[in-house]
Amino acid sequence: MNELREKAKELLLNNTVKLIIGYANGNGHNRTYPFIARNAADANRLVFNEYCVNNLAVYLTRKEFKGKGIIGIVAKGCDVKAIIQLIQENQINKDEVYIIGMNCNGAVNQLDNSFEKTTLAQKCINCTVRTPALYHALIGTTKDIEEPADTLGEKIKEVEKLNADSRWDFWEAQFEKCIKCYACRQVCPLCYCEQCIVDKTVPRWIESSAHTRGNFSWNIIRAFHLSGRCIGCGECERVCPMDIPLSMLNRKMSIIAKKEFDYSAGVSLDSPTLVGTYNMKDRQDFIK
Amino acid sequence: MDEKLITLNNLKIFAEELLKANYTLILQDKQGIRWEKISNSDELHISSKLKPTKASFKEFVFSKTEPIFYFNNKNDGVELIDSNLSAEKMVFFGSKPCDAKSINIMSKVFNWDYKDNFFNTKAENSIVIGMLCEYRDEFCFCTSVNLSPVSSDGSDLFLIPTDENNFAIRIVTEKGREFIQPFLKLFAEGNPETTDQIFKKINLPEKGFESEVIRSWIGNNFEHKYFERAGEICLGCGQCAFVCPVCHCFDIVDEECGYSCGRRMKNWDACQFSLFTLHGSGHNPRHNQTQRYRQRISHKFKYYVDKFDEILCTGCGRCSRGCPVGIDIGQIAKEVHSLAANKV
Amino acid sequence: MSEEKFQPKIVAFVCNWCTYTGADLAGTSRLKYQPNVRLIRLPCTGRIDPVFIIKAFEKGADGVLVSGCHPGDCHYNLGNLHARRRFILFSELMNYVGIDSSRLHFSWVSASEGKKWVDVINEVIDTVREVGPFKKYQKINKEFVLHE
Ligand code: SF4
Ligand code: SF4
Ligand code: SF4
Ligand code: SF4
Ligand code: SF4
Repeated sequence: MNELREKAKELLLNNTVKLIIGYANGNGHNRTYPFIARNAADANRLVFNEYCVNNLAVYLTRKEFKGKGIIGIVAKGCDVKAIIQLIQENQINKDEVYIIGMNCNGAVNQLDNSFEKTTLAQKCINCTVRTPALYHALIGTTKDIEEPADTLGEKIKEVEKLNADSRWDFWEAQFEKCIKCYACRQVCPLCYCEQCIVDKTVPRWIESSAHTRGNFSWNIIRAFHLSGRCIGCGECERVCPMDIPLSMLNRKMSIIAKKEFDYSAGVSLDSPTLVGTYNMKDRQDFIK
Repeated sequence: MDEKLITLNNLKIFAEELLKANYTLILQDKQGIRWEKISNSDELHISSKLKPTKASFKEFVFSKTEPIFYFNNKNDGVELIDSNLSAEKMVFFGSKPCDAKSINIMSKVFNWDYKDNFFNTKAENSIVIGMLCEYRDEFCFCTSVNLSPVSSDGSDLFLIPTDENNFAIRIVTEKGREFIQPFLKLFAEGNPETTDQIFKKINLPEKGFESEVIRSWIGNNFEHKYFERAGEICLGCGQCAFVCPVCHCFDIVDEECGYSCGRRMKNWDACQFSLFTLHGSGHNPRHNQTQRYRQRISHKFKYYVDKFDEILCTGCGRCSRGCPVGIDIGQIAKEVHSLAANKV
Repeated sequence: MSEEKFQPKIVAFVCNWCTYTGADLAGTSRLKYQPNVRLIRLPCTGRIDPVFIIKAFEKGADGVLVSGCHPGDCHYNLGNLHARRRFILFSELMNYVGIDSSRLHFSWVSASEGKKWVDVINEVIDTVREVGPFKKYQKINKEFVLHE
């Protein structure tokens, strides 16, 4: 903790960064919240621990911060993936972000802010970036952690095994619950569109009503727009108030991207994006 | 006040009889997500210790989406067809005081100028069986907004567990009395004094702030930079408004529902969305999240109180439990209270 | 007389330069095919946003076909190659949520392949006829529809 605070103070005092997006303890609660540090006193409030689940990269594209000078950000490996993806998509300038990379020992599984359980978050199982892939400063050390089995992969396989009608029924029951609060979109570092397709009205492609049909097109199109872009931080699923297993969609799309194109999101700063390019050898056995 | 007693067994029979009498029973679901209709009295699961579900029961009285009328293109012009009002008789079973109060609070805005028949019909067809609450976490603050875990305000009937298998039930409203009349054989006579004793033993969430202080502070500190603290991290989703038992904003959109026919839908909307106040001209009077967050707090603790003499919040803590970035409305109110006390 | 055959509704999104012209050729060559298809002409398969496909199902389609130029033939050089990549992802996603390859079809049909167009479209119609009306989607389409 001290290492982080000292680094933050140094960066703020010598004007390397304008502000630092980090985590602070909330009053009286176990967990932590996003916190913007602007001076040395603020820097002393910064914390980092297993309760730092939020992916703060979401703030980098917000108009309050973007293009307002060099922004410092406290980032775990998964958050750094989002930052890399944002740089790859030309959404942020590589020179306008200062990454305080955190060696990470896993985040807790958290379904709402009043949790007692502290099991490991799904996204941390088989994590390969506990030391971030890109950083300007690196803080802390990693240690061995106990990882439970990857139940998400299992759940996806179970749905795949069903026939088409049962797969439909499974997803229909999930999407019916959606209340169109768009928390999934707002929390996602890669849902940065100024105008989301669901908000477009001329023409209105996706109905804004939260009936099953409108929810179906919303959730499908969101998953599609995140294909090859989702870095798997699990934030959307964490915040969905209706407990829709959004990671089952997003992980599935990452599996396809890997299998079909040997492509993973949030890895390369300068290679073309997955759907921003093509290959003459792309599969076409499904095309008559 | 009239009070009856009922055993758990008879409560189940009561539920069964209600189902037979064509009432829809609506309860907190087992996963803690939302309220669900049950079709069998075996599914009756109620407890004073349940955590509030993530979503409140408001979607049954104020739908997340519903048609308000249909339009049909005919050769001789456009025909308008009213959508049917639901005649479903609903019973919210085992509602916490912070949920039970919601219908009363919302009905003020839905009857202030235009009488909203969609809401009113459903509200009239609803019976709220409230229940004493023994769940506590750091997000609960009902006692700061004129409610309490033992408050029957908003309930038609109010259940009080006396031990594992027995309940007292208070008849709170005339509506409740009429409703329970046909089933009285399942109940024994009770004594309000005994339950008053139970109430005294219930520990209450600490009162964190005076709502009146918040109201007047907001009135004098509209431009205060305090709101920036939440505003700069708030992501502008609709989670807080949509799970809230009393947030009631809606949007009107037209949708086609056939080749020559359309429907006008009434959908939930939230003041935290940037589109909420966006004008057709492109101008947005609330152009940043700080202003939008200020609106949320101000509407709840000032505007609604000024207009309807009712706080637009029951202290259920749902919005805070679910907020992606941990913005805690009870905490904010507390901080505003101390700001006001220090006269800044 | 035997039971009346189910007549599926097929929406075909086709590109202007190849498949539409191919379908036109089928017409001018007086080749016959089943009339269950509505063609929607777009400049290029690269212009076919997956959301169009969803809209077609919302409007009551039982099956959808997307068709454009063969790789290398695209009027805009690369549109169909980008589309191919996109539809690999999208068809996998649709399959995962229960809309499989019996309802969602893809083809390359060039301007000279009038005969291929006829074969493709007949095959699509027959496949969809076999799986029947898209009851699952119709169910969600019916929600809040005005019943007289
Ligand atoms: S996914 Fe990896 S980097 Fe991210 S919180 Fe989990 S262990 Fe840490
Ligand atoms: S889609 Fe979900 S898991 Fe993927 S990057 Fe966005 S918030 Fe994270
Ligand atoms: S967070 Fe969940 S309920 Fe909200 S819009 Fe996304 S999927 Fe729907
Ligand atoms: S739930 Fe939290 S992040 Fe979302 S709008 Fe409300 S306060 Fe902001
Ligand atoms: S504002 Fe929050 S605490 Fe108050 S009633 Fe709404 S959800 Fe509950």
